[in-house]
Amino acid sequence: MLGTIENKVGQSAPPAHLAVSGIRKSFGGVHALRGVDFEVARGEVMALVGDNGAGKSTLMKVLAGAHLADEGTFFLDGKEVSISSPHDAFDHGIQIVYQDLALCENLDVAANLSLGAEPVKSGWGFLPRFLRPIDGMAMEERALAAIDRLQVRTLKSVRAKVGGLSGGQRQAIAIARAVGADSSVVLLDEPTAALGVAQTRQVLDVVKRLRETNHAVVYISHNLKDIFEVADRITVLRHGANVATWHTTETTPDEIVVAMTTGLDDGGNNVR
Amino acid sequence: MSVEAQPQPAVLDRFRQLRETRFGAFVPVLLALIAIWIYFGITEPAFISSRNFYFLFMQSAVVGTLAVGITIVLLLGDIDLSSAANAGVCAALMAVLIVADVPGPIACLIAIVLGVILGCAQGVLVAYVGIPAFVVTLAGLLGFQGLMLKILGIQGAINMRDPFVRGITTIYLPPAAGWVLAAAVIAIFAFAVLRNQAQRRDRGLELDPSMAVWGQIAFFAVVVVAAVATLNSYRGIPLLVVLLVGITALLGWVTTSTPFGRSLFAAGGNAESARRVGINVRHIRVAAFGLVGLMAAIAGIVGASRYASVSFNAFAGGPLLLEAIGAAVIGGTSLFGGRGSVWNAILGALVIGSLGNGLDLSGASAADKLMFSGAILLIAVAIDAVSRSSAAQSR
Repeated sequence: MLGTIENKVGQSAPPAHLAVSGIRKSFGGVHALRGVDFEVARGEVMALVGDNGAGKSTLMKVLAGAHLADEGTFFLDGKEVSISSPHDAFDHGIQIVYQDLALCENLDVAANLSLGAEPVKSGWGFLPRFLRPIDGMAMEERALAAIDRLQVRTLKSVRAKVGGLSGGQRQAIAIARAVGADSSVVLLDEPTAALGVAQTRQVLDVVKRLRETNHAVVYISHNLKDIFEVADRITVLRHGANVATWHTTETTPDEIVVAMTTGLDDGGNNVR
Repeated sequence: MSVEAQPQPAVLDRFRQLRETRFGAFVPVLLALIAIWIYFGITEPAFISSRNFYFLFMQSAVVGTLAVGITIVLLLGDIDLSSAANAGVCAALMAVLIVADVPGPIACLIAIVLGVILGCAQGVLVAYVGIPAFVVTLAGLLGFQGLMLKILGIQGAINMRDPFVRGITTIYLPPAAGWVLAAAVIAIFAFAVLRNQAQRRDRGLELDPSMAVWGQIAFFAVVVVAAVATLNSYRGIPLLVVLLVGITALLGWVTTSTPFGRSLFAAGGNAESARRVGINVRHIRVAAFGLVGLMAAIAGIVGASRYASVSFNAFAGGPLLLEAIGAAVIGGTSLFGGRGSVWNAILGALVIGSLGNGLDLSGASAADKLMFSGAILLIAVAIDAVSRSSAAQSR
């Protein structure tokens, strides 16, 4: 079943927290995913790489429930689960941070972190939940805890409007929002794509913190330098199918680039 | 941030920072209001009389009520062009019911229900059918004007003698009751602010400077005392002012302190973000239009009470709608959505009302008044655009 993965990783792979197999997804006549296998363990950063159109983002959206797979099975800690909507994914602790972040710039950091799940004061049970007063202080405490966990040191106040923050800080807030929601799997789509050097550093530190807090992290990026810095394993996709999965310590950027662009031959060697 | 990269005039930056603070959004409109009052106070001494201020408040009431409602859809980044016409329909229905011997309170209640239904219906068209709010409410503007004519019948106006409806704008609190009310409101405000600060200290959260805390309380007390003193020296606080401040306070609380209000700001700031965290943006939109309908109906009742009649010209075709939208925007509520406050709409209505009132006193022509109002509106939107561009740059 997980042929290529066993092939490359074998017994040394940690037990998977989230695993999918045989994922197929077509958009009209275009086969975006042709039976992809993928897995990620807790306390691990799994990079997902591939050329444009390899199916990375489609796979990510399938994992997050934003796309419904045509075929394929999902396993969470070895148990088969069904993920057919973002709500399902959320219930299973899977959180995605999209490239566009989707933060509300007109709201402050605390409000963004609790958006859609604001804590309300007790004693107002006679009102419907959406009209009960928000417990602003509990919300700030929650935000401070989330920021602390990720050790985002540059943020001065959780009462600052997101519109005034830097790109790296926003990325950190978006990640904190995903982590704050009781998640075990965090999917990051190109988190450093638009960032400068210092900002990228900040985000990579946050990703490392996610690993330390025992999250399963899936990390899509085009930047192999970043990937070799944070990832434990690297899954390469090409034309909507698996090429292979490597331990970062056992491969080189050159090998990954060749795998992305030309794939492997039958013996598992790079095609030159 | 792009602050280092692009040095800008410090004044502009300060101004933007000011606008971002919790009470900063009040400052521009408050300064505008004070400037207008000082100007007319010097050129037209009659302007500063308590009698004139009383009329100013009463004149601004209908515009202010509508503006508070419109602010709520503006927060979503939508617009409602139909609310003045909606107010007219509700007022007309109420008048017809009262003529048919329905008791005043029940007629008012039916009018309010109608307003909410008309608002929600437009909200459904915007949220579920996907027609732009501008088009839906433009159609509403035309349709409701027609409906109002139909309800009013041939004569086009119905006199309003019902004591309940008239009472809304003709009853005053005795001066003593006014002072008691003022003291209670100030005490509650001070208690809430101080308790909040104490709890923040206990929980080890970031504190507001104590200057700001006491400044808030002092400022609030001065405004309340000044308003009550002015109104008491004429006839006492009109019941209408108490009602409108109460309704605005309630809506202000709902929009800033409840999950519903937070969703409103979130959907207006970034609808996609709101959708992804599980907020049902369609429900929010329908509810917002329903609230506009509610405020329109209340404005209709207030208007009928104040003019002692319901006539087509008082609500439809006239400048009421544009003044209400202008008041909301002058108050600093962004047409782009996600920023604003219902309190500012009241201040905006006072700016428009003061301008009209002052120009009337100085014998300005209708032409001058229109041009002045246009200029003020333009300045207000320019302030919005300038303070918004900082967010756009750092994106």
